[in-house]
Amino acid sequence: MARFDYLEPHSVDEALGMLEKHGTAARLVAGSTDFLVRWRTGFWRPEVVVCMQHVPGLDRIDFNDDDGLSIGAMVTVQDIEQSDTVRARYPALAAGATAFAGVQVRNLATVVGNICNASPAGDTLPALLAHDAQCRIVSSSGERWLPLTEVFVGPGQTALAAGEIMTELRLPTPAPNSGGLYIKHSPRGAMDISAVGVASVVSIGPDGAFSSVRIALGAVAPTPMRAPGAEGRLVGQPPTDQNIAEAARLAAQAARPIADVRSGAEYRREIAQVLTERTLRHAAATAVGGATDFEDIRRLAVQTAW
Amino acid sequence: MTTQFKVLERNHPRVDAYDKVTGRATYASDVYLPGMLACKLLPSTRNHARIVRLDTSKAASHPGVRCVITGTDFPDIRFGSGALRDRYIMPREVVNFVGEPIAAVAADDEATALEAIELIEVEYEDLPSVVNPLSAMGTGAATVHPELEDYEGYGFTLGHNVSTLLDADRGDVDQAFKDADAVVEDVYRSQGINQGFLEPMACVADVEPNGRLVVYASTQGPYQIRASLAGVLEIPVSRIRVVAMELGGGFGAKLRLTFEAFPALLAMKTGRPVKLVNTREEVFTMNGPRLPVTNYIRSGVMRDGTIVAREAYTIFDVGAYLGAGPNSGIGHGIGAYRVPNYRLRSYGVYTNKIYVGSYRASGVADMTFAVESHMDRIAHELGLDPYDLRVKNALREGDVSVSGAVVPTNGLMETLEAIKEKIDWPRDLEDGHGLGLALCEWRSGSGPSTAAISVNDDGTVSLLTGSVDISGSDTSLAAIAAEALGIPMEKVVVAKRDTDLAPYTGQSGGSRIVYSQGTAVQRAAEDIVQKLMALAADRLGVPEDALGCEDGRVYVMDNEPQGLTFTQLAAASITSRGGPIIGTASLSSMPYTPVFAAQAAEVKVDRETGQVRVLRYIQAQDVGTAINPMAVEGQLDGGVVQGIGRALTEDQQFDPETGAVRNPSFASYLMPLAMDLPESEIVLINVPAPDGPFGARAVAEPPGFGPPAAIANAVYDAVGVRVKELPLSGERVLAALNGQNADIDFDVEALRRAEGIAAD
Repeated sequence: MARFDYLEPHSVDEALGMLEKHGTAARLVAGSTDFLVRWRTGFWRPEVVVCMQHVPGLDRIDFNDDDGLSIGAMVTVQDIEQSDTVRARYPALAAGATAFAGVQVRNLATVVGNICNASPAGDTLPALLAHDAQCRIVSSSGERWLPLTEVFVGPGQTALAAGEIMTELRLPTPAPNSGGLYIKHSPRGAMDISAVGVASVVSIGPDGAFSSVRIALGAVAPTPMRAPGAEGRLVGQPPTDQNIAEAARLAAQAARPIADVRSGAEYRREIAQVLTERTLRHAAATAVGGATDFEDIRRLAVQTAW
Repeated sequence: MTTQFKVLERNHPRVDAYDKVTGRATYASDVYLPGMLACKLLPSTRNHARIVRLDTSKAASHPGVRCVITGTDFPDIRFGSGALRDRYIMPREVVNFVGEPIAAVAADDEATALEAIELIEVEYEDLPSVVNPLSAMGTGAATVHPELEDYEGYGFTLGHNVSTLLDADRGDVDQAFKDADAVVEDVYRSQGINQGFLEPMACVADVEPNGRLVVYASTQGPYQIRASLAGVLEIPVSRIRVVAMELGGGFGAKLRLTFEAFPALLAMKTGRPVKLVNTREEVFTMNGPRLPVTNYIRSGVMRDGTIVAREAYTIFDVGAYLGAGPNSGIGHGIGAYRVPNYRLRSYGVYTNKIYVGSYRASGVADMTFAVESHMDRIAHELGLDPYDLRVKNALREGDVSVSGAVVPTNGLMETLEAIKEKIDWPRDLEDGHGLGLALCEWRSGSGPSTAAISVNDDGTVSLLTGSVDISGSDTSLAAIAAEALGIPMEKVVVAKRDTDLAPYTGQSGGSRIVYSQGTAVQRAAEDIVQKLMALAADRLGVPEDALGCEDGRVYVMDNEPQGLTFTQLAAASITSRGGPIIGTASLSSMPYTPVFAAQAAEVKVDRETGQVRVLRYIQAQDVGTAINPMAVEGQLDGGVVQGIGRALTEDQQFDPETGAVRNPSFASYLMPLAMDLPESEIVLINVPAPDGPFGARAVAEPPGFGPPAAIANAVYDAVGVRVKELPLSGERVLAALNGQNADIDFDVEALRRAEGIAAD
């Protein structure tokens, strides 16, 4: 429990100035749900903590057909879970949010914070990847946009440079006839860290074949990852059981799981295959059959033993 | 429910409910004394090493630090929690597990104490270590306790690193196996389990102006920790006062001395109060959990299902020290069944990991998992129904238990019939669904018990008992007193526990409070009734045998309107010839009274992930007279939840090389949550116990025994695979579904040979 100075900026510019002044001695926090745990254990010992809670304007969720979904850096996971827009148009993200920890943690934790913490097991991350999220990153020298696929560098590591702050996410508007789902596999039905998590977001074209497929896997590699081989296997193909099973096999092959206290490596790979198959089936069915009621999404996302 | 009682067999909210839900109840960590210091501990980073250098000078001179102690600051006296005096309260030369506290700091605040801990310099010289108990029994393994044979109480020479060996034998086992139609043999393994109590260990130690040590503790056994403190600090028991604060859960983990000696010595050295509140990580890495158990079990059976022989060899990993007797499971190798010939062996084996502790009938849940899984294996081998097999072999009144006591009247059969009806056994189910049964047995807890009740002048009574309240036991004791005195519950004030005030009693554990302590309370109340009758006779001018007593009123039997109420007598007693009235009772032990529970699970197994979900869980338990039915049901709910955790997700893991706890947090040690649990379904069977207060049996322990076996049996019923190792994780069940379900290696022949038993 090392001591630190606690700073509360009231604008992004002020926050950037604080980061510039304190350099690597500073740590930026949003909901602090990861920070407090790691600070208590002594894993993180910043001299300065810069808390973004009081920066106005970062807590908005906006949607329009042209720009898609905009998520500010202080939008909490619970905000996302409760958003009707997200539930209706980004079902995989709604599933990721509802599978995330418990209500108290979701009320504090932010989606952008979940990205910046860069845990391979972060529950919103596969869904954000599958919904093709783009990240707005600002610094004292300006701003840049980075696809989420390029943000994750390693466990706990991102492509953000010192002095940069991620302020916004954009998720493009899903194509017509889209569907998606995230399923979390963990021994416990709530308040647990994923052993494996898989999100699939698909669109079905007028010909009845997959027109786009994005599959993202969590907790089976050093970072959350897309499975391009499996995606490529499906695009242009009809959503048959055989095609989906083959894609799931490819996705599991692409995984690079480790063994830890939660699970063995091979079991993770087997589960990645099962969850890929289940999310793809559901995504394909709802793409043409209409959206799923949120309570069903919630059940599918977290229930143990199908 | 119709009842003959005025107070009992009715639901009473806990007497402390209001204080607890409003946050007014005072726990050890709520104690703040003027000038109080904060204590922090330095854990060992090695699992077997000599301490070459332990330099506390930098820590001691850190600003705000008042005192630093190490093992050599304590008297050179070995101390023991279990059968042997096998440890020092803080190691003097050799550490035996990762996490073992080797120094303690008292500082002005917690942050300063933590800074000082980091300034302590330690140099170790590693010694050979052993982590796996089966390896530890081998001759080539490292020796955990080289001086084992010198320890007070040691008497077992069978095997290396064996701390304890218990045995039980009956009949001609080898002949019975030869005569059997079939022999079924299994090896089961159960995992490390943390007690998972909410309140971490905590205490405040203070030295009174007269030099007496006062310890405010979170404990199940104030008298027991007083005795242990006296031992390790080398001061008389009479110089120590232990105040038992509200207990935020213990489940056996707080039966004995935990870390109270550290703030105690720091308080004695500094003359200031010292508080130690452990972190959750310290709960996991410093205070004894249950450790893995390996169970070899073999039965000889006749074609009709009659069990004629049983052999069980159980290996209890006890870790670095005997933090608790490891072997309470010994008699449970035959379960709730009549077995005419048996050979039961139970070994406690030292390893270099955290020492074993107690948890809700230590060892019996492990034994029940093995025995009740094995019962289903027997049924399937013989083509019999598992329910019928249990009924056929179940203990009956008049049978002789392993302890040698005769089984008295009981409701075992009624519990079996109740779950059969409620779960509708047997029944066809959809694919992936299954049903499983388990039968659990325990005995009502005994041991020294006392009670003192004083009558107040307003007609209330003050109940003084040394038993710490766990699971609402204060409320049950108040109900027993009220029933026996014929007064309402509200008139019973339950005093808080303090070793200076209440008479000596045993620990709160082992299902003993209501049964044993409750009997003492009942007798103390009866003592009061007798004295009130004498007082009434005096006041009414009639002989005592002309008086009746009902509903808290003493009256003349020939003339009922003539009488005195309890309140009138209480007021009169203060100035009466005999003086104010006190009722007392004490007893040393209670007769054997078994407790039986039958349980049934319905599960669903995900064939692709191996995950198991419990859809229904039914328990029927013979509780005798239910003193406070809502408290009884609470106990049954809690036990089954703990049992489901043990069955499916809870698993305290140890590094195979260092023995270090791999998952010292609730984020990685997974206790079940509401979402993981089915609705509670309970059937109370009420066959009054021949002994025990108003026919009550013990309640607490058996509910947690059944779920691992009932769920494993249901998984077998659902998908046809037998998993013999806990927990029944998705990974383990899927491996079994994929045919990768290796049997557990166990060299029973080596153990038989060591005893000179011929191989068959």
